[in-house]
Amino acid sequence: MKIIGFNYLQKQHFLTLTIILLLASTFFSITALGFLGIYKSFNAYLGEEENIIAIYDKKSRTPFTGLVPTYLAQRISSIDGVLSSSPEVVIPCIVKGKSIFLRGVVPNELYQLNPLIILDGETLQLNDTNSALVGKRLAKDLNLVPSDKIIVLGALSEQYIELEIKGIYESNTALDDEVIAPLYVGQWLRRTDYGHVTLIRVKIDRSKVNPSQIYETLVQEAETPAPSPSNETKPSPIQQMIPVSRATFNPENLGVKETQEFMKTFLDRYGMTRETLLILSAAVFIFATATIFASSHTLIRQHKPEITVLRSLGASAKTLKLDLVIKTIPLSVVASLVGMLIATVALLILQEVGQPQVLSHRVQFQPDLLLLALNTILVTLIVVLAIIHSTKRLDKD
Amino acid sequence: MFLPLKALFRKGGTAPSILAIALLVAILASITSVVNHVNSQTQTLSKLRGTGETFLLMSNNSTSLTNSKVSTELIQILNENDAFKYILPQKIFTATMITISNNYTVQVTGVNTTTFFQVRHAYVNGSFADGMQANVGEILARIASIHNTDKIGIAYEDKTITVEVAGIIQTRTQSDSELIVPMNVANLLTEDNSKVSIIEFAIKANGNEEIRHINELLPADVKIVVTQQTQTFVQDLNNQTLYFLSLWSIPVYAVVTATAYMITARLTIESSYELTMLKALGAKRTQIFKLILVVTFIITSLGTIVGIAIGVAGAQIISTTLQWAWKGIQITPFLEIQQTTQIILFALTASVLGCIYPAIKATRKTYAELQL
Repeated sequence: MKIIGFNYLQKQHFLTLTIILLLASTFFSITALGFLGIYKSFNAYLGEEENIIAIYDKKSRTPFTGLVPTYLAQRISSIDGVLSSSPEVVIPCIVKGKSIFLRGVVPNELYQLNPLIILDGETLQLNDTNSALVGKRLAKDLNLVPSDKIIVLGALSEQYIELEIKGIYESNTALDDEVIAPLYVGQWLRRTDYGHVTLIRVKIDRSKVNPSQIYETLVQEAETPAPSPSNETKPSPIQQMIPVSRATFNPENLGVKETQEFMKTFLDRYGMTRETLLILSAAVFIFATATIFASSHTLIRQHKPEITVLRSLGASAKTLKLDLVIKTIPLSVVASLVGMLIATVALLILQEVGQPQVLSHRVQFQPDLLLLALNTILVTLIVVLAIIHSTKRLDKD
Repeated sequence: MFLPLKALFRKGGTAPSILAIALLVAILASITSVVNHVNSQTQTLSKLRGTGETFLLMSNNSTSLTNSKVSTELIQILNENDAFKYILPQKIFTATMITISNNYTVQVTGVNTTTFFQVRHAYVNGSFADGMQANVGEILARIASIHNTDKIGIAYEDKTITVEVAGIIQTRTQSDSELIVPMNVANLLTEDNSKVSIIEFAIKANGNEEIRHINELLPADVKIVVTQQTQTFVQDLNNQTLYFLSLWSIPVYAVVTATAYMITARLTIESSYELTMLKALGAKRTQIFKLILVVTFIITSLGTIVGIAIGVAGAQIISTTLQWAWKGIQITPFLEIQQTTQIILFALTASVLGCIYPAIKATRKTYAELQL
């Protein structure tokens, strides 16, 4: 729709404004997608499925420093509706001079939560002493292949371990940036006894059991006195291999939540919610609005002769403003959409080459519809306001 | 030059132009300053934890403990120094453990068992191995169903010996999955008395100074590795954040370039009268070009300096407000000199790139084309 039925705006100047809007939009999208990417990657670190829950230490300040009794994994696995129970020790360390996270696990339990595709070499078992699996992205970064030996140096304790790479795996999760080793290897690096792990991840059938029922079981377990050695049941396959002792615990210190909720707890604690990150991105964008304002103003100044002629021919200021706004709205919508597209493609390319990393894990970027809407609305609104303001000023001149 | 500059700066667009650049630079400065604070805090925390006191001496070209070879003569050199809590040479190799039921590929460590288990604070079910005996790590013992006084075979290359299990040990280290034998057994299997794999040692005090001194005594083909790598880990994480920040700053500079373009385009339009007059008075194209370049340069320089000030001050104000609102939060944003210089240089380069085209375009316009 055109109020004034001919094109009096010069294509070249119009194109310049489009490029600037596109750049501002790309800038906003990269900022917001980057922040949200970090947020989502962190939340999805332990799994995104609703049926995976975490039993964790509520007193811990980070997801990597809690301590939970190992034997609870065995106790929980006997609950009807629990499909798998994976005790895990997540530990920061150094391999070949690079900071990485090593996850000590009971391989068969982990495989049920995170099916791993072995790309090269063999799968890992709990009795594979001094062996490890490496995620495909980390293997590429460190140039590792099966049968290579690596020295793992502790970041939190004076520990050094030599491991032989048994296989390279792909999981399409954060695990692809980690090393997976038998549970006890993680415990050595964490410098904890065999009776404790960082957390227990549990896969449940939600139609049979929910997190609060699992918590109730933990409360009952804490109240139950330890069986005398003569009454102890047959040790589990894990206990046959690892000297897991029954540790006492206070159920009030344990939390049971969906893994995403569990990770969100830590971000929330430091005020990092999805909303605050979006507001922060919008604030960054608003700082860039001066550029959009200046560009829109320049566009009007560049068309001063044409606008003056139209005014002298009888076009009212209102008609001119309306016409300019109608002509620039599609432009700003297209520019913001293309800007968002450029930002998404650029970030996905970066992701493909393994960058950027936060906490030694690749940041996973995903397009966001809310962001797309916010970007389009903000860009259009600023352009419209700038056009109205500049036309008014031109009229005054 | 001064008079034309004065004429161009008199235009009303100067202040908004400076502000446009300043706000963009402020985003960069504020986020960089906050990231600097977070990084410095983590560095401080990692230093509090210290580097530990345990070190490894291994061959320079080795990528694993088992392929490292260090001369036993070095033990003598180290023993002459009284800075050590302990010195523990280890011969580590992969061998086949033969039991009644099965064969297992295991890691064997040859050591002075008494010192080794004292250092590892080991729990021993049985006794420390001596002579033709071995200690078995608890996890390995469980996997291979090994008990005290069992006889096991150790095969390395073409040599096989039989040892008696003197004790099952628990150290909560990798030794729990290994076979620990006295050094004489390890030498018997490897048939090499002149080399060990690594020398583990711990120093008494004054870590860095001592390590520097020890390093001077050692030959060039060995290296000292610190076993606790807290600072390396933290440094690597900080580098990842800074890399993310540098990637993010690329679109910021792109927008700065676009802003400089707009500033120059606007300047040439709004100053067309002045530029026409200058041409009429005999100003050459290059002089007009230089004039526009200088104006943009001054505007960008001022914008960048103001932007850095706004960014750091803004971040500080927000931090102080947060500190009032939540008592636990204490942020001290700061910019390092090289970062400030980098921001200024990059912003100026981006601006110059942005203003070249409109400046050239303005100089190309003939006297008749310019508006009076």
